[in-house]
Amino acid sequence: MSAAAAIAIDRVSKRFALAGSEEGVLALSELSLSIASGEFVAILGPSGCGKSTLLRLVAALEQPTAGTVNVNGAAPNLVSAHHALGVAFQDHALLPWLSVRDNVALPFRIAGRRVDEPAITRLLELVGLGRFADARPKQLSGGMRQRASIARALVLEPEVLLLDEPFGALDAVTRRQMNVELQRIWSARQITTMLITHSVDEALFLADRVVVMSGRPGRILREVKVPFDRPRDPSVMRSEAFHHLVDDLTEALET
Amino acid sequence: MKQSLLGALGTAIFLALWEALGRSGVLGISWPPLSDVLAMLADENRWPLFGRALGATLASTALGYCWGTAAGLALAMLAHLLPLLRRGSDRLAAVLNSVPSIALGPIFLVLLSRESTPAAVSSIHVFFIVFVSVSSGLARATPAHRDLFAVLGADRLKRFRRLELPAALPSLVSGLRLAWPAALIGAIIGEWFGAPRGIGILIINAMQNFQIVLLWCAVVLAVGSSLFFYGVLTMLERATYERFG
Amino acid sequence: MRRPLVLRLVEDYWGVLLILIAWEFWVAINHFNPIVMPTPTAVVGDLVANTNVYLSNVGITLGVAVFGLVMGMLVGTALAVAAWFSPVASGLLNPLTVLFSSVPVVALIPVIARLLGYDISTVLAIVVIITFFPSFVFASSGLRQPPAGAEDLFRVLGASRLDLLLRLALPSAMPNLAIAFKLAAAHAILAAMIAEFLMGTTGLGYLFAETKAEFRTEQAFGASAVATIISAGAFLAAGWVEKRVRERYT
Repeated sequence: MSAAAAIAIDRVSKRFALAGSEEGVLALSELSLSIASGEFVAILGPSGCGKSTLLRLVAALEQPTAGTVNVNGAAPNLVSAHHALGVAFQDHALLPWLSVRDNVALPFRIAGRRVDEPAITRLLELVGLGRFADARPKQLSGGMRQRASIARALVLEPEVLLLDEPFGALDAVTRRQMNVELQRIWSARQITTMLITHSVDEALFLADRVVVMSGRPGRILREVKVPFDRPRDPSVMRSEAFHHLVDDLTEALET
Repeated sequence: MKQSLLGALGTAIFLALWEALGRSGVLGISWPPLSDVLAMLADENRWPLFGRALGATLASTALGYCWGTAAGLALAMLAHLLPLLRRGSDRLAAVLNSVPSIALGPIFLVLLSRESTPAAVSSIHVFFIVFVSVSSGLARATPAHRDLFAVLGADRLKRFRRLELPAALPSLVSGLRLAWPAALIGAIIGEWFGAPRGIGILIINAMQNFQIVLLWCAVVLAVGSSLFFYGVLTMLERATYERFG
Repeated sequence: MRRPLVLRLVEDYWGVLLILIAWEFWVAINHFNPIVMPTPTAVVGDLVANTNVYLSNVGITLGVAVFGLVMGMLVGTALAVAAWFSPVASGLLNPLTVLFSSVPVVALIPVIARLLGYDISTVLAIVVIITFFPSFVFASSGLRQPPAGAEDLFRVLGASRLDLLLRLALPSAMPNLAIAFKLAAAHAILAAMIAEFLMGTTGLGYLFAETKAEFRTEQAFGASAVATIISAGAFLAAGWVEKRVRERYT
């Protein structure tokens, strides 16, 4: 008896209105995807293929034109209203007038719950920002800001974690480091996660399953189960199997 | 679409409220109905009076506008080309801006004449706004641009003409737009110090003779001309931003 | 290694000094009657001799300006928040703001005086009118400039409209409000003075009008000089505040 999908995307289409055009632009076409509880799925695709739109549908930031999206059986906007969604965007969206600690505490305050200071401290330690709790975002490097953003995404112990190219604005070296960090952090919680990325390395290293999307309109080209055992060591990225998969997926992306 | 509809509605409500307040007499004779004011404005017998007053004020405003713009441009360009003068000119402009316009009245009365005082006060208002706009506009050319020009072998003057001046154009035009209402206010204040005619004189006389509707007419004339030229300058600004922004 | 104070002052204020010196010579050369045009030194002399007169009037003008400034900023911000909450209110208010931006406020002084009386309440009203509009404009744009992605974040976190306003929009608007404050600070004092000149019963503007009418021109110019100094000072102080707010909120 398989568990009900944590994220169930069923034949979803999304059409955007475009000034001067009657049909607008079809961002997603009859897309179906199912993510199991505790599964980490990476969505890979070229720019403009609609992968961010897909995430925004799950985050209740957009509504599908057709089809349904369910998070643990409920509509995304309900889940969002119950403060059960964790999200980290490419813009870290840290509030410049709050300290790191207060930024991470923000979801508590928005949800109207008592701020769990010990939990925040533990989380900051987990992401490696323990010493910077009272610093302000502008004093941190890009990588550190993204760590804070991820800590904030995890602080309410959400049902689902949504990551939209969180490391897109970082340089390649920092990005590698952040991938290793995220793997470590995620292993501690194993939350159902949906990661949007255009980096094949990143997708293969972090996810249980990689979904390749095509562009305009967005639909699923391929799904690849990632065979590597957890926890994953950075050295796995040097293995032959890894390189083979990278080539495979890169080719799929270029079609 | 919806926005402009709401905008029209907002204006209509405002005008209707004005009329209602006037008719109900709730604010006394100090607030006449809009229809009375419009009636007096439409009265042909009054047109020579309005015409002369408006003409005089607009002439002073335009004159002050030109002087102020020229002075603001000149000082901003000078300060830009000779960085030593930079802080001093900033301070000078700030101090001049802080001098109460009513204090400028008597000064210009002595230095110039009764007729020129409105234009002179107006020019001070304009000078500050144009100076600040052009100064920050000239500074807009980024270091990257400047490096490019240096590599291309352009000398200081050429760089000024081809890079910094066009870069400053959008700010200049924005400043020109903002300067117009300030110029008008300056002219009106300047007239209080003995000018023979103008909107400012009309306002003072109407006030002293308790001619309320006439007072409101003068106010409407001032607002109307301000809006009209403001609109013209706004369109000019938009065109410039599209071309040079 | 800081350069001597005198040298720095000269470098910064050469323009002002030039004008003062030219003024002194201009009067001397033209043998102006002090009633018509006093020398800067005569004005300074009066400032020193009659300090208490100036001080009491400065207090009034400054008090009205500050109070009006605060009220104007509150009204402007409140209206901006109302427009933020309701797109309908925003659409209705927009053309009115264009209207207000081009109204020569000085033309309204007589009208308001008739409504509120020829005293300090008119002066206050004028200051509020002159400061409310820039506050409204800057607050409106500031409320709509949250950090990138923050609005989406708040939505996903299930924030209420009130939360969005108090925790995101208002703090985002603070730097802009500080700019409006800086602009309004100098204008508030000058506007108060103009209103007092036209129909006040106390304050620097009234002092100016009264002494000018009585041909005590040094005192009239003294009042102007004091107004200039506090106005410039207010602008500088407000600039300092603006800088601190900018550092705190960005």
